[in-house]
Amino acid sequence: MKKTLLIMILVTLAHGAIWAGGFKIGLQGQRQIGMAHTGIGLAQDAATVYFNPAGMAFVGNQLSVGVSGIIPRVQFLDANTNQRTDAVNQLFTPFSLYATYQIKNTPLQFGLGVYTPFGSGVEYPTDWSGRYVLTSINLTNVFIQPTISWRLNDYFSVGGGFVYSLGHVDLNRQIPLNSTGDKEASGNLEGSAQGLGYNLGVYFQPNKRFSAGATYHSRVDMKVDNGKATFTNIPQAAEASFPNTAFTTELPLPGELGVGAAYKLSKKVTVALDLNYTFWNSFKSLGFDYRDNTDRLTDEASPRNYENAYAARAGLQWDAGKRSTVRAGLFYDQTPVQDAFVNPELPDNDKVGVSAGYTYWLKDRLSLDVSLLYEDVAKRLTLNTETQLHGTYRTKVMIPGVGINYLFNKRVKRRVPSK
Amino acid sequence: MKRIIYITVSFVFLSSLYSCKPNLEGFIPSAGDADFSNYVAIGNSLTAGYADGALTRDGQTNSFAQMLATQFAGVGGGEFKIPYLPEGPGNNGSGGTQSVLRNVMNCQGFSSVGPVTVSGTAVSLASVSGQGPFNALGIPGARAVDAVNDIYSALNPFLGRIALIPGGTSILKEALRAKPTFFSLWLGSNDVLGFATGGGVGEVDPAFPLPGDLTNPAQLGAALTATVDSLVRRAGAQGVIANIPDVTSVPFFTTIPWNGVVLTQGAADTLNLLYRQVGHPDIVWKAGANPYIIEDTTVINGTLRIRQARPNELILLTTPGDSIRCAQWGISPFKALGDEYVLDDKEVADIQSHTMAYNSIISNIASTYDLALADMNSYMKEFNKGIVYNGANFSKDYISGGVFSLDGVHPNPRGYALVANRFIEAINRKFNATIPTVDVNSFEGVVFP
Repeated sequence: MKKTLLIMILVTLAHGAIWAGGFKIGLQGQRQIGMAHTGIGLAQDAATVYFNPAGMAFVGNQLSVGVSGIIPRVQFLDANTNQRTDAVNQLFTPFSLYATYQIKNTPLQFGLGVYTPFGSGVEYPTDWSGRYVLTSINLTNVFIQPTISWRLNDYFSVGGGFVYSLGHVDLNRQIPLNSTGDKEASGNLEGSAQGLGYNLGVYFQPNKRFSAGATYHSRVDMKVDNGKATFTNIPQAAEASFPNTAFTTELPLPGELGVGAAYKLSKKVTVALDLNYTFWNSFKSLGFDYRDNTDRLTDEASPRNYENAYAARAGLQWDAGKRSTVRAGLFYDQTPVQDAFVNPELPDNDKVGVSAGYTYWLKDRLSLDVSLLYEDVAKRLTLNTETQLHGTYRTKVMIPGVGINYLFNKRVKRRVPSK
Repeated sequence: MKRIIYITVSFVFLSSLYSCKPNLEGFIPSAGDADFSNYVAIGNSLTAGYADGALTRDGQTNSFAQMLATQFAGVGGGEFKIPYLPEGPGNNGSGGTQSVLRNVMNCQGFSSVGPVTVSGTAVSLASVSGQGPFNALGIPGARAVDAVNDIYSALNPFLGRIALIPGGTSILKEALRAKPTFFSLWLGSNDVLGFATGGGVGEVDPAFPLPGDLTNPAQLGAALTATVDSLVRRAGAQGVIANIPDVTSVPFFTTIPWNGVVLTQGAADTLNLLYRQVGHPDIVWKAGANPYIIEDTTVINGTLRIRQARPNELILLTTPGDSIRCAQWGISPFKALGDEYVLDDKEVADIQSHTMAYNSIISNIASTYDLALADMNSYMKEFNKGIVYNGANFSKDYISGGVFSLDGVHPNPRGYALVANRFIEAINRKFNATIPTVDVNSFEGVVFP
């Protein structure tokens, strides 16, 4: 029973996914989520391995583990037929695990992060009007990042991590080929991908009140070398046109430049600001190159033409009591997707997020973090020039999250637990 | 610890409940300046929902007229009465049934999909006039010149079965009996189609055009004007009129290429020898694609009155494929394709010039009587390049194009949905209405075995 449960949890976790500008997931640390995903200029736990590797020098030895539950609600309103389509309700669970370790009597700090920075997932009813474009997609991604930081002096550090990325894509769509018995053909594209990258940061903390940082996340090119294309319900007459075959594809996970700063307004209240700029323009088109081409199965290149986009985030933290901390945040995230290229795989638009978080110190070194994020993706009327799908998308996302944080050093002060 | 788990779990649960569903508001459908309370559809097989070589009850249900009526129902439309046929394999008007797609083996032993007529008896065309008057007056076979013919119910069983007076009524009279507030009128296709599908054997502009002849535009204009005048002036109805597409661009005429004889050099040499022997050295064969040999009584070279087909000439879908593949049809000098299987240059030109003349008359009627004009002619031209609807690629290709039925002339339900949307767009424009179009992908396309 326990084993089954464990397997179930792992499988569910592996389906980590979606939502932040483009297919980026802004859910990399529970405390940071509570503050609108700020953390470049505020190193407060092991999640700084992602947010700013240089910040490791200021957090001591910690373990932070967290998971979020994304509950997206997506709706499409066809501008021609006035018909509404609701995406199937799904739950996605991106997770993060970070550990930091300081080598005694050296300025060096080692860290490891395992987290899910990209992904997307949406599923539509198999009889919806846009089913020949897409019925479901699940894009999952895990970064494994060994990291090192070097504290140059009392207030300045640098850090960097090496990223090994694992990914998986699973895409389904219907094919307009019907056969007797009300059967419609469908295709499935499934494959695993790998990629390499890095993560750099500088961190500056001149005094107890102020800290700041800058980071660069490199672009990671994910390559599916041997994906499986499987076709079902193909009428016998068209079987030769749709052989089960292999495919290759490439998906660039864009690079990102970020700056952030935090300021202690009072003894108990800290404010943090982050700015992210993501180089989405690397995502020009989504192509599938099939090993076997036929009259009906030709290599695809569907234009995406993403544009670079920024996000601005502000978070507030209040040490409400001896054992509890309360957080709140607000962010604005610009979409990289242009009007003519909005696709049901990612009905994206500019979005606003409101977040809240809470930490409770269970023990001297052990704390429980919870967060709640609501994302409101502005409604968007688009006409996709490739598919002619014309209508309005609207998405609302509720994301509760929970995490555990453990300090290996004695908790001296939460922001700078050890020196 | 337990308490904290409870708190966490209920926190997650409650917040998921709060993940409120988006609720997009669509546009509010409106009839604009039109009154759809009693819609009557007047036309031929295209209005009836004829497909796959016959009219069936399923076809009637998936007619563009029924689709329009369904959309009108949201903006004040009333009941739309269809003279349903009994369930079954349909009727083509002379006792034939509909076709379905099946795997068929050709004479060379290759299996491929092709249309096969459903076995069994065609459904009855017995009178249902007692249930009338009907709103769906799509009469398969009807030409524009038949609309005002007062004995047409005696000539056409599809009108006969719904006519109040079996031997003495016209389509127009039946339409007036239904008291339309709004009508769709799509007639004229059969004034050229009968001529075209007959291989141009019929007469051009005869004084008394029979089905199979090419109607004189003046006669078509007189009949359509009389029809519309009665509907608008006498019945006070508003309406939409559709023009007619160039019928020579439908799969019935475009599936078999003019140069479908593919030869090796050896086979070409043999044929060249044969053609010299029969006195036709003017006909030269080469390796690769060659034109079919067709009959042409105007040919003076040689003795056989045959020649090679030219690039714009059309070979009809009714040409027996196995006779071409295995019995030398269109290849042997003694088996030239007969006139009934070919539209030659002149016949194509006659069809196209008549279509243009009909359409200019239809445009004039639309503006004179303040009707919406559904421009099916330009839509068909767009269609020649292929269209994309919500991610589905449709083309006019036979079977694989997805929207034409197996007879190669009539659309299938998906094709009729595209037609319905063209009507709705025209109506919306003319009458300032906002009627939603239909979801084309929700209708059935070509059904494979």
